[in-house]
Amino acid sequence: MTRRHSLGRRIGSVAIFAVALLWAFPVYWMINSSFQSAPTISALEPTWLPFGGTWRNYSAVLDGSSGFGQAMRMSLMITALSLVVCIIFAFLGALAISRFKFRGRKSFVLAIIIVQMLPAEAMFIAQYKMIAGLNLLNTVIGISVIYIASVIPFTVWMLRGFVAGVPADLEEAAMVDGCTRFGAFMRVTFPLLAPGLVASGVYAFIQVWNEFALASVLLTSDASQTLPLWLRTFAEPSTLGMIEWGQVMAGSVLVAVPVIIFFLIVQNRMTSGLVGGAVKG
Amino acid sequence: MKKMTLGVTAFAAASAIVLAGCSSSGSEGEESAEPTSSATTGTETTGATAQDITLWLMGTDTPDPLIEFLKTEYTEVNGGALTVEQIGWGDAIASLTTALPDSENTPDVTEVGNTQSATFTTVGAFMDITDMYEELGGDSLLQGFVEAGAVGDKNYALPYYFGSRMAWYRKDLYEAGGVSVPTTLAEVTEVNASLKEQGVGGFYVPGQDWRDGISWIFANGGEIATYDGSEWAGALATPESIEGMEQWQELFETASVAQVTDDDSTAYEAINDGFLSGTPAATTMAPNWAYWSLGDIAENDEGEQVATWNDEKFGAFVLPGADGGVAPVFAGGSNIGISAATQNPEGSKDLMRIIFGDEYQTMLAENGLGPANLDYADTYTEVAAMGDIALQAAESAKLTPAAPGWAAIEEAKIMEQYFAAVAEGGDVTALATEYDAKLNELING
Amino acid sequence: MTSPATAPAVVDAPTPRSDAPRATKPRSVRALPYLLVTPAVLALLVGLGYPLYWQVTNSFKEYGLAQQFGQAPEWVGLANYVELLTGSQFWAVLLKSVAFMAVTALVTMALGIGLALAMKAVNRWARLSLQVAMLLAWAMPIVAQMTVWNWLIDSRNGVLNYVLSLIPGVDMIGHNWLVNPWSFFAVASVIITWAAVPFVALSVYAGLTQVSGEVTEAAQLDGASGFQMLRRITLPIIRPILVILLLLQMIWDLRVYAQIELLQGFGAAGDKYDLLGTYIYGLGIGQGHFGVAAAAAMIVMVFTIGLSWFYVRELLKEDN
Repeated sequence: MTRRHSLGRRIGSVAIFAVALLWAFPVYWMINSSFQSAPTISALEPTWLPFGGTWRNYSAVLDGSSGFGQAMRMSLMITALSLVVCIIFAFLGALAISRFKFRGRKSFVLAIIIVQMLPAEAMFIAQYKMIAGLNLLNTVIGISVIYIASVIPFTVWMLRGFVAGVPADLEEAAMVDGCTRFGAFMRVTFPLLAPGLVASGVYAFIQVWNEFALASVLLTSDASQTLPLWLRTFAEPSTLGMIEWGQVMAGSVLVAVPVIIFFLIVQNRMTSGLVGGAVKG
Repeated sequence: MKKMTLGVTAFAAASAIVLAGCSSSGSEGEESAEPTSSATTGTETTGATAQDITLWLMGTDTPDPLIEFLKTEYTEVNGGALTVEQIGWGDAIASLTTALPDSENTPDVTEVGNTQSATFTTVGAFMDITDMYEELGGDSLLQGFVEAGAVGDKNYALPYYFGSRMAWYRKDLYEAGGVSVPTTLAEVTEVNASLKEQGVGGFYVPGQDWRDGISWIFANGGEIATYDGSEWAGALATPESIEGMEQWQELFETASVAQVTDDDSTAYEAINDGFLSGTPAATTMAPNWAYWSLGDIAENDEGEQVATWNDEKFGAFVLPGADGGVAPVFAGGSNIGISAATQNPEGSKDLMRIIFGDEYQTMLAENGLGPANLDYADTYTEVAAMGDIALQAAESAKLTPAAPGWAAIEEAKIMEQYFAAVAEGGDVTALATEYDAKLNELING
Repeated sequence: MTSPATAPAVVDAPTPRSDAPRATKPRSVRALPYLLVTPAVLALLVGLGYPLYWQVTNSFKEYGLAQQFGQAPEWVGLANYVELLTGSQFWAVLLKSVAFMAVTALVTMALGIGLALAMKAVNRWARLSLQVAMLLAWAMPIVAQMTVWNWLIDSRNGVLNYVLSLIPGVDMIGHNWLVNPWSFFAVASVIITWAAVPFVALSVYAGLTQVSGEVTEAAQLDGASGFQMLRRITLPIIRPILVILLLLQMIWDLRVYAQIELLQGFGAAGDKYDLLGTYIYGLGIGQGHFGVAAAAAMIVMVFTIGLSWFYVRELLKEDN
């Protein structure tokens, strides 16, 4: 490589680093603000670094009366349930459409694409009636039923690519070597699918974790709020009329933490998984 | 490697939370899911009339001690338990629309904003309680609110509390600017424009705050909409309404320290120190219970910022009319009624009796919430902060049109948009015609 | 790149007899694919079946608040559709939404592809820092995102106005970014782009890593310029990803609801700030015109299918 080339590369690297800083700035600012006391935060001159800050915002959020703990529990349960069921169901569905030709396959594929184009907002009333009729308002199961149905289509679509990408011959070869069909699947196919499962899991996780419009209709009682609902209420002006930005930012940080933890756990597989499905389509 | 360990630990912690969550809130989920079905068991164990009921309150205006009182008192009278849920004003319409018709999940008794109650009463969401009207206070009840909750001569929702809006000001800033309390609407503009010009202060006029701004229309003899006996029609383009709106526009342009997008949610505290950087607000409009949020700001023992009223620095006056006197203000407050779909009518009626009883009405008055029953107005003027000014304002207060489509108009924020457009400096006559058309589209339901 | 899997029927009898004839599959095997799709289909039917049925039928009915409280809904045929399609408001919102979608989706794609290509070309530390930044932005829950951005652009204490005011002659303190509808939608678009680019960039980057080094080296030896390589080799290889990413961005940006709803909640009130999502929500739950809202949703669905038909067909073709 020539000198000029490597110089260009260095400049490019610095530029990309600058972009990275810019991209991370809102996240940084959230964290920074979460450590500021009310007077510093409302000062005209911003405080750029969190040093010498206060933990008080966090203790205010984590204080039992704020409802954060309750909302966190509710969100974790709803997300976990929806995620697990959705991935299992979607995986089976993906297996069917990528490994088999059967009557109705095409309609199934079309249906899962079209369902994603349906605006959700007009169905809230009907979904309320249905969940209320099943006596499942304010419950984890009630809202998860709807979440699962709305996340499955894309998840099937995503996984379909991964399953198709694992050559069936591999499995057959393993079977020749004496594995059972199930054993061959578990030992050969499944590990190859892990990135795909992770990537679609990330998708499902984010969708469910973020949702609040339907939640505000189906989860009416104070005890069944999810984190987005909690944060939305928490970010409203206090009785003193001022938005306590420090606390609101601390709350935002804490709402994001489970997602970041989830990302950390799956990060290695995620990037490779992000794309396999689409590429191998 | 280290990162992975961290991740695993975190995951373990997270799953521990999940597991812990499962065991404990399963039971809570059931609890909150069946407030109505547990009522039947209640009946069996504690007597013929004991019913577990749910009360929905809107927003957080009802103070906690009052809620506690209702719970204790209800159990004493009825034997059942009372569950109180607070619904945010933002979710109010959605929650009422979905839950009220649903007998399994409806709140038994619910508060509803007075401007929204016509919408729900006309579709039959509330139980007919005409037979209780006399018992609950009869003609002593605030009649404007009673009408908002009635269809024909039948009563469905009754007044819960009222608040009257008044002007709050900073004595020290008025003094610094060399101005005194205005006595006509024109003076309100003059005084605050002068303060603003001097950089001393200004009027906090949020651009979207039609609930306060509407007084300028009322004071000039205008209306939002009028009823011709069969249909409602917008009246923003009448000469009186336009005149009022132009006066408000002038106020906004020359004297306001608030923004076009501001609304009344923070107008309460606008005149507290430190609320605005730059030119502070010297005048704002807010209901009388803003008293509790105004004053010198200091940290209390728990590290929360609280305001303590300071008579030296803070004061209040009734918004003056166009030619002196009192400008009609918009009556804030709400109604309360029994859901038509309730399965516990007896318990709900017990609760209504408690709410309209001596003790509760007095407690409302003491907490600065205007009692629905005007027999308690004396207590109110004596005990409630600014009660005398509040009552003076309340006597000339007006309500929004009791039209079936009014809730839809509020939900679509038509009035907010109208005021914001005027605040932006638009031509009032053209805008008034445009927004009359928008009102007409929705107002008849 | 693996060769496109042609979905062979690999299922055999449970015993590992590799020479078993494949033509005569037992009944249980023929049932297998149906068994496999059953859970997904059931989940869809349970979660969306009734609501969808309700929506379709009620789009042909007069269904308002009165009906919600017990009056029998009246069949009105196409009246709801006619009302929407002949009025000006629906078209205005639709047009705004399409424009918003086009701008946001295109900018997202362009930035995402650009950054992915850049990541390929720069040093490891720079790439890693960008990846971390993107993951952080992507991990932010929507409500948290919007809250943070609202704080960034806060008219009085926001850091954006502060920084802009440092420019000599500019005083932005007190400027509210959400008043002017153009400014409102620009803010919305920036936030959505900020949050969506990571998904695109990381996906495209992952796709680029699958373009084998040998191919590019060979092309380089043949004297291909960087641009030629991009156009002739790289883009065709990652084309399937780009198609699906673009389709997703289009669908998501067209039906965007949460961000607009939250941004409106920060003080920009009224229908001039509406896109399709908030418009339909307002019609239905907000104003109680459920029948009309259902009709609007149906029109939007048909419109979206039409808009993306080209892509859907392409995807289906690839699928075979």
